[in-house]
Amino acid sequence: VDCQSESFRYPQLYSPGQQNLYFNKKVFVRCMMHSWYSSLILFFIPWAAMHDTVRDDGKDIADYQSFALLAQTCLLVVVSVQLCLDTYYWTAVNQFFMWGSLAAYFAVSFTMYSNGMFLIFTSAFPFVGVARNSLNQPNVWLTIFLASLLCLLPVVAFRFILIQLRPTINDKLRHKVQMEALPAPAPRRPPPRRISTRRSGYAFSHAQGYGNLVTSPPGWSPGQTFTLKLSQYSNWWCFLADECRCHCESVHMNIYRI
Amino acid sequence: MGKDKTKSGPLAQRPDNSAFKQQRLPAWSPMLTANTVLPFFYFMTLICLLLGVWLLLTVQSTQELKLDYTDAGDCKVCYETRLNASNAAQACSCTKEFQLKKTFKGDVFFYYGLRNFHQNLRRYMDSRDDAQMVGRKKSLKTPSSYCQPFANDPDGRPIAPCGAVANSIFNDSFTLTYHGSSGSTIPVPLLRKGITWYTDKNIKYRNPTTENLTLAQVFNGTTKPPFWQKPVYDLDLLDPNNNGFINDDLIVWMREAAFPNFKKLYGVLNRMNKPFTNGLPAGNYTVKISYNFPAQYFRGRKEVVLSTLTWFGGQNYFLPIAYLVTSGLTLLLAIMLTVVWWKFGKNGKNMEE
Repeated sequence: VDCQSESFRYPQLYSPGQQNLYFNKKVFVRCMMHSWYSSLILFFIPWAAMHDTVRDDGKDIADYQSFALLAQTCLLVVVSVQLCLDTYYWTAVNQFFMWGSLAAYFAVSFTMYSNGMFLIFTSAFPFVGVARNSLNQPNVWLTIFLASLLCLLPVVAFRFILIQLRPTINDKLRHKVQMEALPAPAPRRPPPRRISTRRSGYAFSHAQGYGNLVTSPPGWSPGQTFTLKLSQYSNWWCFLADECRCHCESVHMNIYRI
Repeated sequence: MGKDKTKSGPLAQRPDNSAFKQQRLPAWSPMLTANTVLPFFYFMTLICLLLGVWLLLTVQSTQELKLDYTDAGDCKVCYETRLNASNAAQACSCTKEFQLKKTFKGDVFFYYGLRNFHQNLRRYMDSRDDAQMVGRKKSLKTPSSYCQPFANDPDGRPIAPCGAVANSIFNDSFTLTYHGSSGSTIPVPLLRKGITWYTDKNIKYRNPTTENLTLAQVFNGTTKPPFWQKPVYDLDLLDPNNNGFINDDLIVWMREAAFPNFKKLYGVLNRMNKPFTNGLPAGNYTVKISYNFPAQYFRGRKEVVLSTLTWFGGQNYFLPIAYLVTSGLTLLLAIMLTVVWWKFGKNGKNMEE
């Protein structure tokens, strides 16, 4: 559909890509520094937490296999949360894959370290019992929590500072969209007077209408606020300076659960 | 798919006009704004502070005593004896006295510790045969090639258990005595069972099935590792269920430590009888060590550790202190972010296009 996305409304959004602002030497060095710092945290925090301690019943926890599982789990958690920070649009698909991948990690670990796998493929799965014996220790989970905090808080702080001091075009746009979305929920208004002479024919064709999207969208939970961009709404106006001669205006609605 | 595509030509391949296929799914678009980030940072400060204080109080309630006995006092003679490998069959023992200033309340765990012993060396860790230790007859007679050079003895007989890990088992033994206030000498009873993981004792290590044979007969045709004094089926003469591959000390040793300085469980205080019903009373103690393990070859130290535990484990101050430090750093960061936001970004000052 034409006249739909932000990139038509704000063609300046294309300029960071053209100016190589997303991936250049500076960004690469920054990425390397971040991974260097994360690697140090992901090894030395588990090392220091485990090197002189035992389980709560006195048995071993500072063994090679338990330490490996701990470092691996810290890494998985940090990477998942980092991915969450980088995801800007959370649809149902994103939610499924995000939580699903964490769940899959634990499912696969427990399967690999189960009795059955050890007895069938003995030399390939020697870590039998490790997941069961180390992941039930609060000590281990507190270490994972600490390692995640130390890896992720600097990232959040850094991004926040950048948004405050040097917002990019993306940040400004999202801020603007958020400001526009703040007014009270607009009721469905009757079609305003049309100024345009040309509008997209697709908007008024065979579609069944999107009333159901407004009244009961999928995946809704109480109190959650969505900023929905309804592209095929009956009062569809798109506004595009210079390029396109059609005058439309997109309807941003802030919809609260009734 | 139920729609009839009456048109042919360029528009016939259009995907359905559903939310999923037209990428119009309802989406939540979070942003890093001041009214989410700043409270989050202050909240994390609080959480870390509370956790740090709680863990510090928990760890402070544990008690630990470490005794290095490599070449201290009596044990120097044994240390010198063990320098020479030909003295390996000769027994040597020494004693070390220590004093507990405060009673060790609750369950007391007795560990032996080694320093500078790299059980995490790759070639060392590979030198074992898990299939043999899980009781497969075929692996008993033909150990894996990873166990070389500890797979067969010079006469060609297979070694059980094979490999460098089993060969280097820690073989010092300890007896603890309490010198009561009235001058009496009471041996401290230690429970030497139940020191392994359940999965290790019952799944990972199994003796080959015996049917009507004794354990010694099952191991017929194999030989003991070169550094061992007793064969594997005679490791515990008191308890027949603790012999063979399921011997507790062997299992504890075979779980390789991650770091060069480690401790492994030797026994738990038996609190059935007085005066040990509440733990180890304060006073003078003697530990008698049967000194067999030579430490000088890896330039290491040997020690004995006595420790009480909590739900958090042993006495390790790192995590409480790390949480307190993280709390302080997060507070600094939060303050800095608040200042930056207030001066530069409040009310969208910077957000002009």
